[in-house]
Amino acid sequence: MALFRRLTNLFRQPAIDRDIADELQSHIDLRIESNLAAGMSPEEARRDALLRFGNPTSTKERVAAFDASLALAGFWRDIRYAARQLRKSPGFTLTVIATLAIGIGVNVAIFSSMDAVVLRPLAVPAMDHVMVLAEQQQRGKEPFTLADFTDLHRQNHSFEDLAVLQGANYTLSGAGDAAQISADLVSASFFSALRTQAFLGRVFDESECQPGRDAVAVLNYGFWRRHFGANSRIIGQKIQLDQHEYTIIGVLPRTMQYPPAVDMLLPFAPTAAQLADRSDHAYLVLGRVRDGVTLKSAQSEMQLISERLAKAYPATNQGWTVHVEPLLNDINGDLTPLYYKLIMGATMFVLLVVCANVANLQLARGVARRSEIAMRTALGATRRRIIRQLLTENILLALVGAGLGVAFAAIYLHLTLVLMPARVARYIPGWDNISLNGRALSFSVLLAVLSGIIAGLAPSVEALRIRLVDQLRAGSRQTTGRSRLRSIFAVAQISLAVALVIGAALMAKGMSSMFHQADIYSPEKVLTLHPDLPVKRYDTPEKQADWYASALERLRAIPGASRVELATALPYTDSGWQLDLTIENRPTTPGKLQTAVRLAVTPGFFDAFHIPILDGRNFTQGDSTHSVPVAIVSRRFADLYFSGANPIGHRIRLGDSKSHDPWLTIVGVSQEANYSLWESDLPPAVYTSFAQQPLAGSTITMFSNGDPLNLAAPARKALASIDAGVPLDPVQTYRNLIRDNLVGLMYAASMLALDAFIALLLSAIGIFAVMANLVGERTREIGVRLAMGASKEDVLRMIIRRASWLTGTGLVIGLALAFALARLVANLLRGVRPDDPLTFAVVTVIIVGVALAASWFPARQASRVDPMQALRSE
Amino acid sequence: MAKNDLQGTLDLLVLKTLDQNGNLHGYGIVLHIQSASNDLLRVEEGSLYPALHRMEQSGWISSEWSLTETNRRAKYYKLTPQGRRQLEAAQESFDQLVRGVRAVLRYA
Repeated sequence: MALFRRLTNLFRQPAIDRDIADELQSHIDLRIESNLAAGMSPEEARRDALLRFGNPTSTKERVAAFDASLALAGFWRDIRYAARQLRKSPGFTLTVIATLAIGIGVNVAIFSSMDAVVLRPLAVPAMDHVMVLAEQQQRGKEPFTLADFTDLHRQNHSFEDLAVLQGANYTLSGAGDAAQISADLVSASFFSALRTQAFLGRVFDESECQPGRDAVAVLNYGFWRRHFGANSRIIGQKIQLDQHEYTIIGVLPRTMQYPPAVDMLLPFAPTAAQLADRSDHAYLVLGRVRDGVTLKSAQSEMQLISERLAKAYPATNQGWTVHVEPLLNDINGDLTPLYYKLIMGATMFVLLVVCANVANLQLARGVARRSEIAMRTALGATRRRIIRQLLTENILLALVGAGLGVAFAAIYLHLTLVLMPARVARYIPGWDNISLNGRALSFSVLLAVLSGIIAGLAPSVEALRIRLVDQLRAGSRQTTGRSRLRSIFAVAQISLAVALVIGAALMAKGMSSMFHQADIYSPEKVLTLHPDLPVKRYDTPEKQADWYASALERLRAIPGASRVELATALPYTDSGWQLDLTIENRPTTPGKLQTAVRLAVTPGFFDAFHIPILDGRNFTQGDSTHSVPVAIVSRRFADLYFSGANPIGHRIRLGDSKSHDPWLTIVGVSQEANYSLWESDLPPAVYTSFAQQPLAGSTITMFSNGDPLNLAAPARKALASIDAGVPLDPVQTYRNLIRDNLVGLMYAASMLALDAFIALLLSAIGIFAVMANLVGERTREIGVRLAMGASKEDVLRMIIRRASWLTGTGLVIGLALAFALARLVANLLRGVRPDDPLTFAVVTVIIVGVALAASWFPARQASRVDPMQALRSE
Repeated sequence: MAKNDLQGTLDLLVLKTLDQNGNLHGYGIVLHIQSASNDLLRVEEGSLYPALHRMEQSGWISSEWSLTETNRRAKYYKLTPQGRRQLEAAQESFDQLVRGVRAVLRYA
């Protein structure tokens, strides 16, 4: 009952306030009445009644407190009071709100994109239940064979749904340009494992996953938008995939961009032969574990099943186990969460700097508010009440800041979404989901309240120390405690800024060195094309070789193209696959891996990319599909597998011992070249002749003297004259190709740079505020010094000395922090040393410069103090 | 153990007063305590009201507005059954306290 009464009281606060006032008044009236009856004069009667009653206002507040509604109504009153106070000092209020808006805005933006990309890239309910499975042997993980999958499906109890995926490429035709699309053949359980439904139309079911009934397609949202212009009437329409007719039956939701970069999903309809195959490791498997099954228990059940399979089928399954991994880990890989943690950490640093700054401003404002607080204390407010008031004020400020911050975050997110190239964004699941959502909003409110409390803490502690008597005694001073607190904040700001700026500088430096690795090739003058021959029409090496030969011939005829070459990979773009390697007449020792990267190139490639042939010969026009297959190996290859002896004349084969690839005779040894952007550790390389063995996934490079993009149109025309159905995209400069690979890193680096810039700016403001305040408080002292004969330079020096002390302390702490951060950055990037002396030195100079500049104005003001005026002002 | 605090004593006095007199307003309670104690106990008048409201929120007493003999509006309080139980408990506790204090004084 009592609780109910309290709750209802919450909604009738004004009525209750009146009720209490009436009751107290009636008491006083009754006392006056009896005083009058006892013969007092009216004046006397009233005075006596009030005296006996005590302070009616404070009694009223205490009574109201017991009516429990106080907590909330009092809060509202505090808010109104706070708003009034804040309106009185608009300069302060605006500065604090802007500062908080930046801090909270950056945090919300980063959190939103991290939430979408790292934490929930897919809108899959209970995503931690979804696992990716792979078969594993000594060499590493491989996809499943279908027979193994079927056995696993039958025998396991851990998974409620298990799905198979198989990648495939098709040429889509029937509408507009011929497009090479990538599809995944998936079993119907794929949709139930991910608990996803169609956004439009429907997904396919079990009955459609059979040969002959499988001519249906479910589109990926992004592909539907890109290719079909988000046309909702697409459902039921027919498309041609490799000349076979399919019906579009559905579109997946935007939040289901999985597998990444897959354009559509088709039913997986295995044949009997496929189902019986136990050696073709070609099928990806994912599954949803039952409730209560952990990763560990699923893993141990898989262990049992794979041991059983190994016993039953020793020829194919000996040495194979099953590896289980959460889907989230599989999607994110190693680097993305690391980037985000780095950025998120840096952004939290910025929020701390913001809080320190706001607290500092509050403390400065506290001087003006002391008399107000003393007055309230004198009127009977308790300390608790005053602290609550101060915190309310801070939280109110922070919430307004958060409101602005969210707007800031929205603009920021819009910009990142617009600036990210679509061809890169396709590969990031969850990128399209980035938005300000409920989680981001609650995160921002949480941050606002938190920062309000943190920033309000210092002024509150300060308010606690105000001694009523001291304060009411005119001219009293007690500034040491506060200025120490403020100095601590200034030092903290500087050190955080130092750490961030150094971290950002190292990251930018590392990134730029990676970006410029390929500069010796003048990548801005090289055009790259990526022809993708439809496998169905170019089904023999001869047909493919013919296409490439005529393509090279026609492209070389284009004026302005100084050189046209062909290779499966370019330096610093992407390392090729590491393949198993067999050397003729040399038994492989089990457990010792022999691998090499394979690159198919044209003879001119070595010259074009400055890779000297150290020994033997280059490929020639004479090497063709009709002559002996030859190879050139890298020096590292020779060192590793021939211990430095001359490998020329030996024969090698790529692929394991059962491979049907031809034996390659080594005819030359080349200098090293680095094909990977990330690894500095160069794997042994084997070059084969493109004319002898054309490989899919090749890149045509056209070297130009001017702008290579001028070559794009004639090149497209020339290639279309051979076969208009061969996709060439993306057509872009070599430099852009590298940039695309670095875009994630650039994003991280620019975030860090932004954070660092904000931190630097804020700490400059912080130093400025501290010094300006110091000068303000010591005006009288300075006046005395000047009157006693100190020169302006002495005063200037005194103030600057103080600023240098603050900056110096901040620097020392900041450099230590920066060193820790730098080690983290160095792990992420190539070419970054955590003890890079130049960066550390430059940043130190910058920080010192900024700090001294920020304290110069207050110092100059101090030196201009007029002693007479300063002394008179007391 | 007896609860020995002043607030508890004020509560006890108010509850007992209401038990003996039925309906009373705050001013009446002050007067009654003063006269019943032969002017020995004087309640600080303002401090009565927080106690009254607290006890009302606890459900020991209930209140309603009505008119005094002199036709003034005043808020009248009366004991609830729960308040009566509370009174008994408080009385028992106070008696214990008094007995305890007396015993100590006599011994000394």
